[in-house]
Amino acid sequence: MPYNIAMVSDNFYPQPGGVESHMYQLSSKLIDRGHKVIVITHAYAGRTGVRYLTNGLKVYYVPFFVIYRETTFPTVFSFFPVFRNIVIRERIEIVHGHASLSSLCHEAILHARTMGLRTVFTDHSLFGFADAGSILTNKLLKFTLSDVDHVICVSHTCKENTVLRASLDPLMVSVIPNAVVAENFRPLSHDLGGSNMPKPRAASGPPQPMGPDEIITVVVIQRLYYNKGTDLLVAAIPHILAAHPNVRFIIAGNGPKAIDLEQMIERNVLQDRVLMIGPVRHEEVRDVMVRGHIYLCPSLTEAFGTVIVEAASCGLYVVATRVGGIPEVLPPHMTEFAAPEEDELVEATGRAIAKLRAGKVRTELFHNQVKLMYSWTDVAQRTERVYDGISGNISHGEFYQGAGAAGAWSAPRGRAGGQSFALIERLKRYYGCGIWAGKLFCVCVIVDYLLYLVLEVFAPRSRIDICKDWPKKLLKEKNKAIERGFGAGTNGDEVLETRNPRRHKERKEELDDS
Amino acid sequence: MLALLQRLTSPPAQTLYTLQPTHSTIQYTVSTRPITQTIPAILGYIISVLVRVLLGLVTVLSLWTKWRTTLEQPTAPLLWILGSDREVRLFALAHSCQWRYLAPSAFVVLFLVFRRGYTEESLTLLRGLGIQTSTSSSTYLLGPTTRFIPTTSIQDIFINEAFKGFEIRFYLAIVVEGEEDVVVVFPSLLPRRGTLEVVWRGARRCLWEREGVGRERLQDREKESVDM
Repeated sequence: MPYNIAMVSDNFYPQPGGVESHMYQLSSKLIDRGHKVIVITHAYAGRTGVRYLTNGLKVYYVPFFVIYRETTFPTVFSFFPVFRNIVIRERIEIVHGHASLSSLCHEAILHARTMGLRTVFTDHSLFGFADAGSILTNKLLKFTLSDVDHVICVSHTCKENTVLRASLDPLMVSVIPNAVVAENFRPLSHDLGGSNMPKPRAASGPPQPMGPDEIITVVVIQRLYYNKGTDLLVAAIPHILAAHPNVRFIIAGNGPKAIDLEQMIERNVLQDRVLMIGPVRHEEVRDVMVRGHIYLCPSLTEAFGTVIVEAASCGLYVVATRVGGIPEVLPPHMTEFAAPEEDELVEATGRAIAKLRAGKVRTELFHNQVKLMYSWTDVAQRTERVYDGISGNISHGEFYQGAGAAGAWSAPRGRAGGQSFALIERLKRYYGCGIWAGKLFCVCVIVDYLLYLVLEVFAPRSRIDICKDWPKKLLKEKNKAIERGFGAGTNGDEVLETRNPRRHKERKEELDDS
Repeated sequence: MLALLQRLTSPPAQTLYTLQPTHSTIQYTVSTRPITQTIPAILGYIISVLVRVLLGLVTVLSLWTKWRTTLEQPTAPLLWILGSDREVRLFALAHSCQWRYLAPSAFVVLFLVFRRGYTEESLTLLRGLGIQTSTSSSTYLLGPTTRFIPTTSIQDIFINEAFKGFEIRFYLAIVVEGEEDVVVVFPSLLPRRGTLEVVWRGARRCLWEREGVGRERLQDREKESVDM
């Protein structure tokens, strides 16, 4: 059943980033599956108003004050009139918010619940529990998530983190990983091997060990911030280079820690062995990656780590710190793990280099393996299932895999999967957020509800024009309809599972959790 | 109660008038002028016009009288109109009210008298020549603001959406060659999508379709009411 979905977040193109590309890819795949998707974000410099992207994805750049680093000022209610207008004119049924630091997303979820819509929230990041900023963010998260229908996290670590931060029922949190467009991250050998030439490295011949004098290049692509582990990198590089003479580094990205790296290079006179190439655009990342053999990811916290999937897809052996969601992302034969410490990182890189020299790693096969593991189509399929679950199109039992009696944890559940819309039920949920916060949240919700009533009087629905949908090619739509009808019929689950072997494993884990 | 509130706060209803005197000319007019067809409505309209005229005359007269009396110049026409008895009384009245009250209140009354109670915006299409947009001014004293765009410099005409206040409105825009901004048709009324689509279709047909293709038999003056 096609839905009208609104993706809401402060982060969207033209600003580059992980959440942005996630939203874009997911939206376009959902559109391919026959849904209608719009994106609501705030206005960027020189980009205000309503725009269409490829494939008929409509983007509303709502004019708002931007206070800090492309985040809007959290005015709880000022977004409501515009949001209501958009929701009505686009006939939205499901509001899907992204990124926990985006106030636009939180406000949208609150308003959507007031308007009686189903809501989903996707968390893309991990947070701490101790410092003041985190506590505040967590409280805010708890506020919006007390009344959300379903939450999606990008990794199991992220799920654990979100469940703890927002005191959620683990049952209503799904894990749907990010994906990569594998075609955009082809290894070099796939380029050389055209149609007439047999692909030299992709062929499954005997492994070709690298000679001891052959130069191994280590690539690092990241924003140079503290949380990305640049300090670790600064400490580890001299040791790695001292231990392995035929190793070079390529570091791409910029940030406040770039200066530390430059100092390290100068102090150790490594100018000819460490190349810093500054910021690269996302579409150029692949060109940088294929210049190397090993990808080093020294991150201190990472919810998913799309970049290491991209690196593996380019045929690079990955050395990563064992933090956050990183261990879940790639199978063990593609990665060498290290604890986030200097010595361990040096050691792990050493192991990786040795393995490459011995020809024990078949990096040329990585691309096809990654291609099978991650695809946005699969992400869209699984997200669609969440939509089905919350809008009651598949039964509660089926959605939650029969785990636990309905509402063993959170009692006031209405229809299958979804939360009840009754104001009093909603207030109950918010009241439990804290001694003072609970009452404050309740006041917010009541004001929001009154605002909704006022808007219904002064800006009635009859005065809002309904938008026309983006015209779709009829033939394609018909095919899709047949396909979906088939999928939803007899063996829909089998189709899903043959396409995605990871899914089966995950379901089991979900059962274990409960 | 709620219905009443809604009616009070709603913007005035808009009507689309289509005027097609020849096959190569169409004028689309969107107006908020109330339709006067019933007898009470017509009576009300006539009375309101009369009241306006009277009020205007009285105000001008009083201003004139005050001016003449202040400067102590002859007021012969008054004597001729009113007779000496009433003239004396009028002088007393004019003497008693001071300039500082009279001038602002006269200004307000004149403003109200000349204020146009409705807005009318139109798009005139002349095949082979160009199009002209016009917006009526807010008073009866000024003529409409018009803009003519020759066919050769029209690049496209389309309907788009934009944020306006707390809502998103559709608008009909014309892309003019060599100009950075588009020209918005019906800029102050911003009619609803249904109306805009009618105008857009008509405009495209009139501007770019060959003679005799898709010609529509429009009545000389066809009224299409679009409820707002």
